[in-house]
Amino acid sequence: MNTPKPKTREVEHLLRRRSFIRRATSGTVLAGLCGGLYTLDDLLTSEAKAENRSDGRPRVPPGQRVLRALKPMGGTPGSPNPSDFSLAVYGEVERPLTLDFAGLLRSENVELEVDVHCVTGWTVLGARFKGVRVRDLAERVGVKGGVNHVIFEGAHGYTANVRLGEALAPDVLVAHRLDGRSLARPHGAPVRAVIPSLYFWKSAKWLKGIKFVRRDEPGYWETRGYNNHADPWLEERYA
Amino acid sequence: MPEKPAPRRRLRWRPWLRATHRDLGYLAVGLTVIYALSGIAVNHIEDWDPNFNNYEETHQLGHALLGEDAAVAAEVLRSLDVDEEPADVFRVDTDEVQVLLETRTLHVRTDTGEVRDEGQKPRLLLRIANWLHLNRGKKAWTYVADAYAFGLLTLALTGIFMLPGRRGILGRGAVMVLLGAAIPILYVVLSGGP
Repeated sequence: MNTPKPKTREVEHLLRRRSFIRRATSGTVLAGLCGGLYTLDDLLTSEAKAENRSDGRPRVPPGQRVLRALKPMGGTPGSPNPSDFSLAVYGEVERPLTLDFAGLLRSENVELEVDVHCVTGWTVLGARFKGVRVRDLAERVGVKGGVNHVIFEGAHGYTANVRLGEALAPDVLVAHRLDGRSLARPHGAPVRAVIPSLYFWKSAKWLKGIKFVRRDEPGYWETRGYNNHADPWLEERYA
Repeated sequence: MPEKPAPRRRLRWRPWLRATHRDLGYLAVGLTVIYALSGIAVNHIEDWDPNFNNYEETHQLGHALLGEDAAVAAEVLRSLDVDEEPADVFRVDTDEVQVLLETRTLHVRTDTGEVRDEGQKPRLLLRIANWLHLNRGKKAWTYVADAYAFGLLTLALTGIFMLPGRRGILGRGAVMVLLGAAIPILYVVLSGGP
C-alpha cells in the first residue's frame, strides 16, 4: 500500500497553507473593495441627509440609502414597443381620452428633476424624467366632481391607487425619458408613471391607463400587505 | 374451559404517522425546492432582479446614420452583427430611432451613430419559480399552493409525534419546537412588530 512519505505530506501541507493564504488574501482585498464602495455610497447618503426640501422635510426619507441610478425592481414586463403604446385616460371624466406614443410626444412635455424612493430602501436623487403632467391630462379629460382617487394601470393587470390631490401634483408625470434617454425596458419602457412623493411602486411601469374613480381601489401591492398610501417620510411601507 | 378473550389490538398510530410524513415529504420535495429557491431570490429583490438578467452597453458606430428608419435599422443590425428581424422600428425623436428586437432594444442616435443596446434575458428556472411562488398566474395554482401549505402543516405536526422520545413529547423535541417558535416571536417583540 502506498502511504505518503513524511516529506510529501509536509509539501502538501505547505501547498494547502499557501493556497489558503492566497485565497484569504484575495477574499480580504475583495471585501475591502466592496466595503470601500459601500462607504463611498454611504457618503452620498450622509451628504444628502443633511439637506432639506423646500417643504422643510429632509431630502432623504427615513430608512433610505442613496444610490446613483434606478434599480430594476422586476414586475411582469409589458410591450416595450412605442407602436403598441396606448394610454387610456378614463373613468369619472367628461371626455375620455386615448393617447398613442406620438400623441404623448405632441402633448406639452416637461422635464423635471425629482427624487424617487423605493420601498426596499433605496433612493435616487435628481432623476431627470421627461413626460406629460397628469394634471394636464386631467384638465383635458375634465374630471367629474366626487373623484377622490386615481388608479394607475400597468401591464398584465398591475394597478396602483393614488389620492387625487397627490396624483395631480405638478411633479407627477407620464414619463417616457429618463436622464435624457428613452426609458429602458426594466424601467417600464416605453412609458411609466412617476409619482415622486410616494414610494416608487405607485409609479406604475408599462403604463396603459389612468382611471379617475370616486371610491378607492387598492392595487396590486396594496392588496398584498403594502401600505395603501405609501408616504416615504412617514415610512408607510406596510399595511 | 372458557375460551380466553382475544387480546385487544393496540392502535398503532405511530407507523401511520411515519408513513404519512414520509410520503407527504416525497410529494413536497419538488414544491419545496421551487418555493425555497424563489423565496431566497425574491427576498433579495433590492440587490438583484430575480426574474431577468438586465444588461446595457453602448456601441459607437462612428458616423451619422442617414436615410429611412428601416435603412438605419438595417445598417445598425449589420454593424452589430445581429441576425434577427426587428419586431418594429420606431422614431421616438428627431435624432433617435428605436430598433425593437425580441429581448432587447437598440436606441440609435442617428446624429452621432451611438447605439445603446439594452435588454432583459429571462432567468429561465427562477422566473418560472417566482411566477409560481408569487402566484402570478392565479387560477388553479391557488389550489395547488393551498394544498402545499396544508401539506407542510401536516408534515410539521406529524414530525412532532412520529418518533417516541424517551420522555414523551416533553423531551428534546419540545425544546426544539419551542426554540423554533421563539424565533418569530422574539423577532416581532424585538423589532417592534408591524
